[in-house]
Amino acid sequence: MSPRVRRSALPHDPSATLPLGPRPAGRVLDARLHLLDRQTLDADEVPVATVDDLELVPPAGTSGPLVGDTPVHVAALLSGPVLATRVFGGRPPASRLHRILWRHVADVGTTVRLGVRGQDLDVLWVERWVRDHVIGRIPGGRHAPE
Amino acid sequence: MKRLLGVALGVLTAIGGFLDIGDLVTNAVVGSRFGLSLAWVVVVGVVGICLFAQMSGRVAAVSERATFEIIRERLGPRTAGANLVASFLINLLTLTAEVGGIALALQLASSVEPRLWIPVAALAVWLVIWRTKFSVLENVTGLLGLTLVVFAVALFLLGPDWSELADQALSPTVPGDEGPASYWYFAIALFGAAMTPYEVFFFSSGAREERWTVKDVAQSRVNVFVGFPFGGILSIAIAACAAVVFLPRSVEVSSLSQIVLPVALAGGKLALAVVIVGIVAATFGAALETGLSSGYTLAQFFGWSWGKYRRPAQAARFHLAMIIALLIAVLVLMTSVDPIRVTELSVVFSAVALPLTYLPILLVANDPEYMGRHVNGRATNALALVYLVIILAASLAAIPLLIATGGGS
Repeated sequence: MSPRVRRSALPHDPSATLPLGPRPAGRVLDARLHLLDRQTLDADEVPVATVDDLELVPPAGTSGPLVGDTPVHVAALLSGPVLATRVFGGRPPASRLHRILWRHVADVGTTVRLGVRGQDLDVLWVERWVRDHVIGRIPGGRHAPE
Repeated sequence: MKRLLGVALGVLTAIGGFLDIGDLVTNAVVGSRFGLSLAWVVVVGVVGICLFAQMSGRVAAVSERATFEIIRERLGPRTAGANLVASFLINLLTLTAEVGGIALALQLASSVEPRLWIPVAALAVWLVIWRTKFSVLENVTGLLGLTLVVFAVALFLLGPDWSELADQALSPTVPGDEGPASYWYFAIALFGAAMTPYEVFFFSSGAREERWTVKDVAQSRVNVFVGFPFGGILSIAIAACAAVVFLPRSVEVSSLSQIVLPVALAGGKLALAVVIVGIVAATFGAALETGLSSGYTLAQFFGWSWGKYRRPAQAARFHLAMIIALLIAVLVLMTSVDPIRVTELSVVFSAVALPLTYLPILLVANDPEYMGRHVNGRATNALALVYLVIILAASLAAIPLLIATGGGS
């Protein structure tokens, strides 16, 4: 319950524009707009996963709960079970997060491009399992269509 | 010359690929009960699918993104997830109807029980999805589907009273023994048959499969604007055949053998053989499209690797999803459910789900971040808004009418 603040008692002039912080160098990304739910492609343009959520970490050296406007960094793009928790609430245990490390991201456009190949990434284990145990075993599964 | 051939091939494929089991059944049922008094709905539906397919083809070619990736990006995981569930289930229902349609058509040709044909048909569909190149499967089924022109030929051979048919089509009235509720129910079913969402998933994903770029947009526009209206004319011909043969006798069409009866009456055994080839090709082609669409929607939502241009092993979850969808369709059909009944439901639910795919495409077609200077023009947007209203109205009215009329009976 916040008590209503009288307009005349506001600590600043309500008609004045708010001061802007210094503009960071380079391109500004909006995490929701440019990262969440975007398709990621690996170095060979093969789809890897859709960005289901982001892992944010506080800067090195801080401990305890984050307060106020402490800047955080995007450590990884997440995929997998985290989609269900993003829709229904809650959070999966850290061991079940499938991460794509932020340092592997090469470019962010209408898709998020990675600088590494998908076969080295842990997020694709389901794809590899289905390939090795189901699809790859059906005759013709490893040949190009004719 | 090669380019001209390409255009001709595209147009012919669009004509042949326009018709599926939904169009065949709904048009014949409507023709037998309402004559041509609902032909205007086919015209509305064809203009709608031209607009929609052209928009989604352009979005796919320019932004290089397929429909469901865009739906997820635009609507977020929650709404897009609900959209995925609805679209996937309706697509599965349509896939079931198409596989059942192949089996019924093969039954007409062979007198072998459809339940024996169902696994064979599904296996054939899977083998083609598994091993055949995208361009081959699209062109072959499209060209064979052209044999459905025999419906138009049959209409001429039946020698109907043209002025009466024109009268039914141009000044539509609800026939005396039908209520307005069932008239509007079948109007929505026809609309849903002409504008099925899977056509858009298939069209936009197909554009990615064939690596369309901005240059190909003009070609796709010709295919759509010429091919689909001809497909619409074939739809009306099917309804007209049923109207000529069944309406005066008050016979209601409820099986595939009745749908082809006017053709057999007009052209004999040869025409019957041709129409069966056409129906097998049309349903087989649509089964491929809906089968692929079930993989496309899931893979694009979850960001899996997808596409026929990859080896199956390089798009493993995509292929597994299609195998499972086909198995479910077979299991449903093996319960001896009537494929014609499944078809009638699938076209109505297509109309229900249409706004879910239409709206995101319309939004992205106006978004310069994706489309650059290829955003919708004013005329397209004006028409698109009119259709947004029609699509929403049809979607909202469909289920109440389904309940009120007891499925149109």
